[in-house]
Amino acid sequence: MTARRSLNVKVAVSVLVAFAASMAFSWFLHNSLSERDAYALIDRTFANARAELTDCINERLVVQCMEARERLEDGHPDDTASLQALARELRVSEVSIVDDKGDIVRSSVPDYLAGPGRKAFNFAEADDKDANKMMGLIDGRYTEYCQPYRSNAANGNWRKFVGVWRREGGFFEIGLDGKALQSLARSTCVDRFRNWRVGGSGGIVVTTPTGLVLSDYEEPNREGTQFHEPGGSFYWKRGDIETFPVYVMIPKMSAAVQRDVLVGATALLNGAALVFVALLVGFVIAAFVRRQIREQEAKELAMAKDIQLSALPNVFPPFPDETRFDIMASMATAKEVGGDFYDFYFTAQGRVLVIVADVSGKGVPAAMFMMHAKTLIKSAAQTGKPLAQVFTEANEALCEGNSSCTFVTAWAGELNVNTGHLTFVNAGHNPPVVRRGSHCEYLKTRPSPALGAMEGVTYRVDDITLEPGDAIYLYTDGIVEQPDPSGELYGEGRLLGLLSRNVRQRGEILKTVLADVHRHAAGAEQADDCTQLVLRYRGEPDVVEHEYAPTLEGVAKAVDDLTAALERVPERVRAQLLVAADEIFANIVHYSGATRWSLSVEHDHHPDGVRLVITDDGKPFDPLAQRDPDTTLAAEDRAVGGLGIFIVKKTMSPVTYKRRNGLNILKMGRDYGDQD
Amino acid sequence: MEIKTKSEGSTLTISVSGRVDTVTAPELEAGLKFGDAKCVVLDIAEVPYMSSAGLRLLLTSHKAMLAKGGEFKIVNVQPSVSEVLSITGFADILNIA
Repeated sequence: MTARRSLNVKVAVSVLVAFAASMAFSWFLHNSLSERDAYALIDRTFANARAELTDCINERLVVQCMEARERLEDGHPDDTASLQALARELRVSEVSIVDDKGDIVRSSVPDYLAGPGRKAFNFAEADDKDANKMMGLIDGRYTEYCQPYRSNAANGNWRKFVGVWRREGGFFEIGLDGKALQSLARSTCVDRFRNWRVGGSGGIVVTTPTGLVLSDYEEPNREGTQFHEPGGSFYWKRGDIETFPVYVMIPKMSAAVQRDVLVGATALLNGAALVFVALLVGFVIAAFVRRQIREQEAKELAMAKDIQLSALPNVFPPFPDETRFDIMASMATAKEVGGDFYDFYFTAQGRVLVIVADVSGKGVPAAMFMMHAKTLIKSAAQTGKPLAQVFTEANEALCEGNSSCTFVTAWAGELNVNTGHLTFVNAGHNPPVVRRGSHCEYLKTRPSPALGAMEGVTYRVDDITLEPGDAIYLYTDGIVEQPDPSGELYGEGRLLGLLSRNVRQRGEILKTVLADVHRHAAGAEQADDCTQLVLRYRGEPDVVEHEYAPTLEGVAKAVDDLTAALERVPERVRAQLLVAADEIFANIVHYSGATRWSLSVEHDHHPDGVRLVITDDGKPFDPLAQRDPDTTLAAEDRAVGGLGIFIVKKTMSPVTYKRRNGLNILKMGRDYGDQD
Repeated sequence: MEIKTKSEGSTLTISVSGRVDTVTAPELEAGLKFGDAKCVVLDIAEVPYMSSAGLRLLLTSHKAMLAKGGEFKIVNVQPSVSEVLSITGFADILNIA
């Protein structure tokens, strides 16, 4: 049990540590992921915003440039002053006209034009890639072109130039300084970021270079107020797009909530999974441990049963040549071993001891105690000590070191098989049933204490004398204490009734009783070991045996002897026996070729009966193997052969045949009470 | 075994006393002389038991009387004999009063 608990604790700790580690890792992962994800999102948003704003401004400027072209083609004067006026009107910084060679030929900016000691600005020759690209408008590669806002090649001023194709060659160009660019874009382009949402609750803020808010994503918006760069509570990035400082920002809170939700969900899932796994592991371990324990218990149970059963004599009849008594015993073990035992053996010349006992407690300890008790009693009894002394000594030995207070109830009887005198001792055991003739009664005497219960007890014996045919039935409380489904015990009354109704049964009575106990249990499991033993005293057998000549004279003598031997046998049975015997005698003298034959008559006591044994040295003949005649034929067709054997088979029970040592040995008989 | 015969007209009554078995059957067989009697009555009131040796005689007597158109009756059958007769099926084929 301790091992099991410490195992459980280890498992629980391991599970918790694994869970904590998993959660820490998950939090860290999601934290770093959320920061990385936030900046990736900001970069993507920024690129989109740059494309969007640039496109918008470019479109707007191309329209302005086209406006300038239209005005000039419609005849707007193109001198410097007029172009300056046009630029003001169109709210741009500069307007220029470029010829098909790439020279600026007209411009609101005099510096660009050819003058004393200087050539006009030429786009093809300028050491400026953005300027060179404007040449595409002349060679027809495109009809409009927008430069980025930048420090220009001609005079280093920051400008954004846009050009559109000119019909007579060259192109028209407008240029916007930062202020113009802003005023133009401010009204048309920057406010489209108001509705952009970044990462749930983030957004885009566009300001003027001095930090006045032009477009804000928050409500109420901060437009027109001074913008302060976001602090540490945002993931953010600032970049300039077409002169506008643009901020893309995501509140860390939002990302953190997202992270926490993720971590929380993961934790929940992990937790659930861990709990599940822990339960599973726990369940598997518990099942395993339970199985181990069950197997161990089953092993112990089997061992206890083995001990119990192997210690009991189980060959019946135990003394096949013994005619003065017979013993039948059985034990039906309950599922849980109860520690019952029975035993029988010769103690001294002419005495046989029978014992039935029940050890308190169950399982292996009870089985061990039972072995001990059984051995003690047997070894003491076989030295020839009186039964009382055997029990007194066994009790002392069993009390010694008996800390578990295990005890054993026992009933033992010692039968003088020549006289029927039975000496017995009852150590706290159920009273046996004694059958005298056909009357059954409990043999109740004041019991002595159970063996092993109390030191210093002197055991007393009582005695009775059995007549030939009388029997004594011993049992353990498993018989009388078997409950039925309502809890009512089988009881001594039922047992006595059953035995009284079946006085003619011999060894079979044990099966009869057990069957009745099981019937009483009505399907319930047998509650305890059911141990029974029956000892029947037969006394000296009344045997007549004579040998006869194989002639009719011999038969006549045998019939006379048999008639005399059957004098006290009831008339009907006597007639049956005489007829059957005559049939066998006739066979012997007429057909067997025997030179001698013999008849013995054995009287049996209780149930009363007779056995005839007829032996001859003739040719082998098994009457039981003969075919029965057809007894339904009409008189004309009937033959007499075979009828005799048929009569024997019909009237005798039991009938046995043996061929041994060149002899036919036929044994047949009747019990007087048999009905057929 | 004692066998007494009494003749009244064409009816012959044979009274048997004693067991009928292997030993006594020859004696009975010798006593079963029917002459020209039309009806033979076998009184076995004093036969305590009968083995198959006796049954054989009953059957042959029965057949013999039938053959000459006469009658063979058995009377006063003891229970032990009756039992053997019914076991062997003879109770059905013989004429038992």
